[in-house]
Amino acid sequence: MSIKKYDIYIVGVGGQGVLTIADILTSVAFTREMPVNYYPTKGMAQRGGFVKVQLRFGRSNVGPDIPQNSADLVISMERSESLKAVKYLKKGGEFFLYDNCWEPTAVMLGKAPYPTLKEVWQEVTQAGGAVKCLSNTDLPLYQGKRIRDNIYILGGILQSTRLKEIISKDDVVKAVTEKWPKVAESNVFAIEKGMHSEIKTAL
Amino acid sequence: MTKKLISGNEAVAYGALAAGVKTVAGYPGTPSTEMIDSLLKMDIEGTHVEWSTNEKVAFEVAAGGALLGYRTMCAMKMTGVNVAYDSLISIAYSGCTGGLVVYVVDDPGVSAGMSEQDSRGFALLSDMPVLEPSNLQESYDMAKYAFELAEAIQGPVFLRSVTSISQSHGLVEIEERILPETDHPLFEHNMEKYTKAGAVICMNQHKALIERLDAAGKYIAESSLNSLCLKTSKGVGVISVGVGNSYIDEAFDILEENQIKTDDISVLKLHNTLPYPDDEINAVLKHCTRVLVAEELEPYLENRVYLNAYKLGVKVDILGKNDGTYSRIGYYDADNLVNGICKLLNTALPALPENTDTAPEKKCAARPITVCAGCPHRGTYISIQNAISKLKMKKSEVVVTGDIGCTILGTTPPFNALWTEVSMGASIPLAQGLVYGGTKNPVLATIGDSTFFHAGMAGLVNALQHNANLTVIIMDNGWTSMTGMQINPGTAQDFQLGSWKQLDLKKVVEGLGVEDFHVIDPYDLDTTARAIAESMQYQGVSVILARRECAIQSNRRKIKYSAIKLDLEKCVNCKQCINITGCPAIAFADNTISIDYAQCNGCGICTQVCKFDALVKEQ
Ligand SMILES: Cc1ncc(C[n+]2csc(CCOP(=O)(O)OP(=O)(O)O)c2C)c(N)n1
Ligand code: SF4
Ligand code: SF4
Repeated sequence: MSIKKYDIYIVGVGGQGVLTIADILTSVAFTREMPVNYYPTKGMAQRGGFVKVQLRFGRSNVGPDIPQNSADLVISMERSESLKAVKYLKKGGEFFLYDNCWEPTAVMLGKAPYPTLKEVWQEVTQAGGAVKCLSNTDLPLYQGKRIRDNIYILGGILQSTRLKEIISKDDVVKAVTEKWPKVAESNVFAIEKGMHSEIKTAL
Repeated sequence: MTKKLISGNEAVAYGALAAGVKTVAGYPGTPSTEMIDSLLKMDIEGTHVEWSTNEKVAFEVAAGGALLGYRTMCAMKMTGVNVAYDSLISIAYSGCTGGLVVYVVDDPGVSAGMSEQDSRGFALLSDMPVLEPSNLQESYDMAKYAFELAEAIQGPVFLRSVTSISQSHGLVEIEERILPETDHPLFEHNMEKYTKAGAVICMNQHKALIERLDAAGKYIAESSLNSLCLKTSKGVGVISVGVGNSYIDEAFDILEENQIKTDDISVLKLHNTLPYPDDEINAVLKHCTRVLVAEELEPYLENRVYLNAYKLGVKVDILGKNDGTYSRIGYYDADNLVNGICKLLNTALPALPENTDTAPEKKCAARPITVCAGCPHRGTYISIQNAISKLKMKKSEVVVTGDIGCTILGTTPPFNALWTEVSMGASIPLAQGLVYGGTKNPVLATIGDSTFFHAGMAGLVNALQHNANLTVIIMDNGWTSMTGMQINPGTAQDFQLGSWKQLDLKKVVEGLGVEDFHVIDPYDLDTTARAIAESMQYQGVSVILARRECAIQSNRRKIKYSAIKLDLEKCVNCKQCINITGCPAIAFADNTISIDYAQCNGCGICTQVCKFDALVKEQ
């Protein structure tokens, strides 16, 4: 498989496992000896703050920061935070949105507005991006227990975006199995389910 | 040689090990923390690694080893250099026989907080070489090289990184660790070198310092650290340094994709600002008619380019910060290089992305961070408010100074309790100054345990000596938490490493002779508010030691202080539990309060706030 230049910009909220997705993709690159630069910006010790990760594949000498209008793929794990990533997506790029709403207190108490899915969708479309949206409501169960949503999301991403041209399902299965051997079965199940989840591409 | 997937900070740690480092000392601070954190997790007998009380202490500990001729290193975030500088300049004057490396990480773009100060300015002030890796592999290679350079010139050397490199992870080739040397003779007694006794000694040392920087220039030139690639004569050139180097290839790719030729552009990639690489800069100046200088933050190199052009008498257009091509603010990416090169070539990118629109971001919900569920600081902030109310004062009338750490989250909603954030330890002297300024109402200062040991103690001693009328609240959560739970002098003995010993903060404060001293548990709101109110009425220095462990650390040991019961029958949806505590474990949705038991540690603060007994501790 040829190694392409491929930049991924990931956003979410601390505590969502944003770093886990990036960790897995980075370890796949590591085993495949593919150049990668993985740059997380985690904020502080507390949960609930903005987190972003910049992943740059395929270049051996590249700076950590992705310029605006140039990420091949944006992965957003939180609806409102998606808006911070829009400007980094390149025209014609893919925007994978896991439509999860992590409401700040003021929003919860009805004192501050929160964007609708439609608003976010329109912003991405206006920036020339293609939305791939996975709902957070029908997270499958494995033997009665909720599966890890970030692994499920990864399945959704592999199903619906061009990431699959550089990373295969087998790569991911191998990486998560090595990382968490004890829960390998449930993780493989989560990837499978993600691969077959319903991804919306239109509102 | 093995390839490892590591961060820039870890690469520096491995580089130091491969250089046979004997002592590594530092004080935590994002973005540099993981350098020492990673060493503390390794089994590296023979190398002493420690978290010191502050950066000045760390520097001095490292310097001591270098005076004996060993390789030593200290590490800090950019603001740490402000603290260490007093000793740094003195050791720079004296020099040392071993390799002493000061690892500092700057933060263009301020993703780690405080400022965008450019540590190269300190290198200028102290005539010290500063090495600037531009990627992860270079972080490793140059860490090793920094020791060689320091040894060669017999003086300390800066190794300066930036957030984006220190926090990035990627593949780095590393070698086996070299065991530190052990058999150096005792310290040489040399007053001329190691004291500052008199003007002659000091000026001789100053002269020696300047000579060392010159020697560094020669050493660096011989090791071909920098890469110069001259192209078309009378053409254009780019000079970059550090992380700027890593964006040139990408910028050239973008330009080529847009049919802008880049083959004719001369490029000088530098890995050190100081000593100024004059020969290479002059080679570019003699060869090109237009030159772009791409360096993040301050135009230190660029100013030198101007000076050299003047001295050479060449007429060269210089693009950078002085002509407004670049800003001194923020970090760089390939776009900065692309835009600069376009200006250099008097061309424009046909498809120059015009979408720098921040409109989408403006619709993003604000997400102020607050302290964790079960955080002891929550109890202190609420109690400050309650004490102020008890004394029939208004919040807007009582100044509460803040300090650095999780403790500063008292500035965010729902507390909005703190008025200032200056620097480590500033809260107490600042409060003292406010008292002398004639502030009518009581003044309070808040400070965390690590910050108190770092630079707070001197301020408390000063307040005590001058019998200032103020209240100091030391928020003692047992850890240096904000930076990711490091051990500090007050951390419980069980968690100290090896032969390290705990200093009990209670005894420290008692030992200073504080007369009005209260030790309370911030989970107990009534007692805490009462103690604060009493202290505010006391004439003189009062100290409140609010003690309870950081909830993240107690959670790691699975401690639940109680089980919280939510009785929805009694709940009237007043939402005061959320409005007052802001605890992230309490949510309100579909007109109902709920508790996330995965986050709740049973601290019980919400149960003391609920007036309807809808939230109670079970058992
Ligand atoms: C001079 C300097 N060194 C280091 C830091 C990084 N820093 C920020 S907060 C903090 C820790 C504060 O710990 P503590 O006072 O115990 O408060 P906590 O976070 O535990 O509440 C550190 C080391 C800094 N901002 N300035
Ligand atoms: S990390 Fe610890 S001290 Fe900091 S907010 Fe969380 S519980 Fe509080
Ligand atoms: S007891 Fe109340 S305030 Fe404390 S962590 Fe649990 S929900 Fe939050």
